[in-house]
Amino acid sequence: MSGEEEENAAELKIGEEFLKAKCLMNCEVAIILEHKYEQIQHMSDGDPASQVSQVFEKSLQYVKRFSRYKNPDAVRQVRETLSRYGLAEFELCTLGNLCPDTSGEAFALVPSLRSGGRFEGDAGNDKIEKMLNDLSLIKKFE
Amino acid sequence: MVFLQAEMSWNVLISPTQLSPKGLLLRKAIIVRLLEDIANRKASKDHGYYIAVNELKAISEGKVRELTGDVLFPVTFTCITQKPMKGEILVGSVDKILKHGVFLKSGPIESIFMSEKTMNDYKYIGGENPMFMNAHSKLEKDTAVRFKVMGFRWMEADRQFQLLATLAGDYLGPL
Repeated sequence: MSGEEEENAAELKIGEEFLKAKCLMNCEVAIILEHKYEQIQHMSDGDPASQVSQVFEKSLQYVKRFSRYKNPDAVRQVRETLSRYGLAEFELCTLGNLCPDTSGEAFALVPSLRSGGRFEGDAGNDKIEKMLNDLSLIKKFE
Repeated sequence: MVFLQAEMSWNVLISPTQLSPKGLLLRKAIIVRLLEDIANRKASKDHGYYIAVNELKAISEGKVRELTGDVLFPVTFTCITQKPMKGEILVGSVDKILKHGVFLKSGPIESIFMSEKTMNDYKYIGGENPMFMNAHSKLEKDTAVRFKVMGFRWMEADRQFQLLATLAGDYLGPL
């Protein structure tokens, strides 16, 4: 039981189209899906829940439950902050979603961070810690 | 769970009864039909789950189907999708607890199994409200859990993915 040959998110081997596609964090998707839900509510007279697919509903429930940031400005700031560290889209979103507390946790959850020589040694650890610090500040002042 | 915004193409079939002399209604009919088709399709092996259509990028010239009189409009659009990846760290909630493992749900993915073999220090406790417990935490119905995807397969018949999860790894487990 496996995906395509050689596919492994831990090493960022996730297929070309996915490397190139734009990735969205839970909090970004929450804003988009909530907006769509409202649109459907305005367009139809009936109950919007009956107009959207199961996949949409479950995804909406999920992203609402597991978004760390609710305020759209905070969400924008999170993306801007993470974009400054030379991360692949997939890594950026995984970090923004899982919100690790320490650099150790970050490396454990996103092992591909170790590749490419971006975050090596103590300097690398410090960089990650600073990034995580910035993210928690955004949460504090949300 | 990483959501992707991907551009894709689809052929929307419009029946002649919806073709009205007013051109504006045609665009709406195409959009409505596209949304219906995607909602019905639910997911595919290549793209994963279709969460929501974002934007209609282009509608190409319609081609009339000789036999039925329907018109085929090739469209390109952007869509939010979600596809599980091997090795990815996901968060889900416990759906069912059994002696040999736990069934989890995560967003659109309904079928995730985590064998108790990967939950090394957890013990199964049966009863009316079954759960798995270890020294510091417990897993019961609706608990949020962070797990790693060990593998998955596409089930054509149900049009959904089935995932195998593991708790073996640092920083995994109930949140």
